[in-house]
Amino acid sequence: MQEITVAVSGRPMVAWRIAGRKPPVVCVHGAGVSSREFQPFVEVLGRRHDAWTVDLPGFGASAGPRHPLGLRALADALVEWLTAVDLDQVVLLGGSLGCQVAVDAAARHPDRIAGLVLVGPTVDPAARSFLHQLLRWMRNAPHEQASMAPLNLADYRDAGARRIVGTFAEALRDRIEDKLPHVVMPTLVVRGAQDRMVPQEWAEEVTRLLPAGRLAVVEKSGHMVPYRQAHALAGLVTDFLTHAFPAAGAGGMSGQRRSAR
Amino acid sequence: MKASEAVASFDSATGMLRALSRFLAGRDIPALGKFPAAFEPPLSGLLGTLNRLPIAARERAYAVSGWAEAIPQRRVGDVRSEALAEWVTGHYPRRRYPVIFIGSANGALIHLAAALDAAWLPQTLLLPVRRRGITPDDPRGDLAAVGESGRALLAANPDLVLHHMHDPNQDRLMIAGMTYFRIKWRRLPAAYRRFIRDHLVPGGLLVCVDCTLSWPTTRIDDRYVFQFGALGDATPEEYRQGGPRVADLLSRYGAPVRRWDPPAADGESPEAEWGLDPALLDDLRAFTGQHRLDTQLLRFDTPQRLSPAVADLYRSWYADRGLPTGRLLVESFLLLEPWWTLRTGSVPYWTVFGTEASRASLEAYLDASDPYDEIRILLFNHGTESIGLADAQDWRRTAARARKIGVLTGVDAVAYPRDFASFVRSHRELSRIRTRYPLPLPLDAAGAAATLSARDDILWRPVH
Repeated sequence: MQEITVAVSGRPMVAWRIAGRKPPVVCVHGAGVSSREFQPFVEVLGRRHDAWTVDLPGFGASAGPRHPLGLRALADALVEWLTAVDLDQVVLLGGSLGCQVAVDAAARHPDRIAGLVLVGPTVDPAARSFLHQLLRWMRNAPHEQASMAPLNLADYRDAGARRIVGTFAEALRDRIEDKLPHVVMPTLVVRGAQDRMVPQEWAEEVTRLLPAGRLAVVEKSGHMVPYRQAHALAGLVTDFLTHAFPAAGAGGMSGQRRSAR
Repeated sequence: MKASEAVASFDSATGMLRALSRFLAGRDIPALGKFPAAFEPPLSGLLGTLNRLPIAARERAYAVSGWAEAIPQRRVGDVRSEALAEWVTGHYPRRRYPVIFIGSANGALIHLAAALDAAWLPQTLLLPVRRRGITPDDPRGDLAAVGESGRALLAANPDLVLHHMHDPNQDRLMIAGMTYFRIKWRRLPAAYRRFIRDHLVPGGLLVCVDCTLSWPTTRIDDRYVFQFGALGDATPEEYRQGGPRVADLLSRYGAPVRRWDPPAADGESPEAEWGLDPALLDDLRAFTGQHRLDTQLLRFDTPQRLSPAVADLYRSWYADRGLPTGRLLVESFLLLEPWWTLRTGSVPYWTVFGTEASRASLEAYLDASDPYDEIRILLFNHGTESIGLADAQDWRRTAARARKIGVLTGVDAVAYPRDFASFVRSHRELSRIRTRYPLPLPLDAAGAAATLSARDDILWRPVH
């Protein structure tokens, strides 16, 4: 896996990549966490596709401003980063809050985004409060793998408490349901069957609101499907890419545009 | 004896009666209408825990639950036809109905009745009777053990016909400790006559539902027939002559035999569960002639036949109301939700059972229909891996034909077909669907009759 660093708004943004077939799939992490949880998934997906995972500004290895960025600014930073690494017509694969960032980017930059995969999209409007989300998070915890905890702790250390709280508050403010009807590109919605953060009825509502959405449920998984069921998710994404972008699969390797560090 | 104690609770006719009568009272059906909605979360948890028991323990629990519902043989002669009929009519809210259906049980018919604001009076009910010491694979033993009880029932109820049914394939667990007595009224019971007189809107429509499905039977007495096997994936020939699928079933369940030895069939009778005994139609004709009631006949050859017709009727009804028409709800046996069907704007497609034959019919319907955005499939759990049962993955593949959302609703795919919690879970999950619509005014019966009778495979005409 290559580590690739480029400057976005004067600050380094770090991503990891395994080169493969087009279209490129860019994984966007959730609130407080980073690419760490996506790397096992990228290793699986990278066997067949051009797979990327990027740290948003202020998370993981990417530098950020002192003040946490708002959701829109995170989405703009993501699109700027796409330009910086010369990526176009990408499929954004969001996890949790990463879905909100991906949807915001897709709604405002439809010409840059070819498709979306929304894994465990937040925030369910029926539970849009800190307390509701905390309770759901606690109910979900037993369905996650214990080996993910050290990664989460490292991510929280990198991001800092202020940024985590600020991003979480931003996630609660964001109304993803208002943007979904304007996401015109093919979109796969994925839910872990035991995900307590994203109940089935909300995952269905997300799919229904998307003009070209389709829902898949992954068995034996909580909220963090990419970490818990990397192979199952990679299979779903491959099927999605095959059906949504039949011509793209024949394309060659997308070129390496930045020197590896 | 009280009719409510004699009639099986987990039977098609009872489940359909509960579903429709609750719908007509403006209510849905939490936990199959057996428990209040507040009990759903703890029940779901408790029953879900039972799913973790070993298969043998779960099968035993199924058999015991059936046995607990059945009546002792010595009390069969105390059952009174009139009490049964009053028990049926007692389900319905005391008001007038523009249409009353009478006759065969059918899940699609329940949705048709819901659309027309109509009541339905079944011709057939199931009376489960306890008996011991007979294995499911011994039909002759079953007949010998309970034949006298059957005669006692008929002696006390001259208006009934008894279809003694024995299906070691699909009812394998249930018949371990009990016998299925399906009774059919060959004359209109007084309670039905009163209900029609008092609750049919003046000028309203009486419709006799005639499913003409028949099955080979052995005649035991004038009003007593023995039916071996029942509608499902296995054919009457497989039941009687055996074959690889029968041998495989018996081997899987550790039976000492590889084929069954039922009493020889000596004719065909209306199928015990679904078929109409035409004697009722004759009596109905006399009654309606006397009271000058507008009476019609709705006839089809097999229960599944009505499902695509009613699904299309609902779809065009939604289109006429300006609602989306892309949501399909596939129901199974007695898992029926007419209230949530309309509240969620779902097109109902009822399947008789979870068999490959039912799945093939659904696939054929989907082939012939405009694509659905959402397909939800409910699966009834009868505890047995019977001949030709499609597994949860098969049904999931069919659900995946939806453009957006294709899911099994309330199904634990690992536990199916021994998932105790599905009876509770399917309602819970349906009631959580977020896009909902107000309940509409009823459909006009004449329009529905015209739509259905336009199909080649359904007859809807006046009774002369």
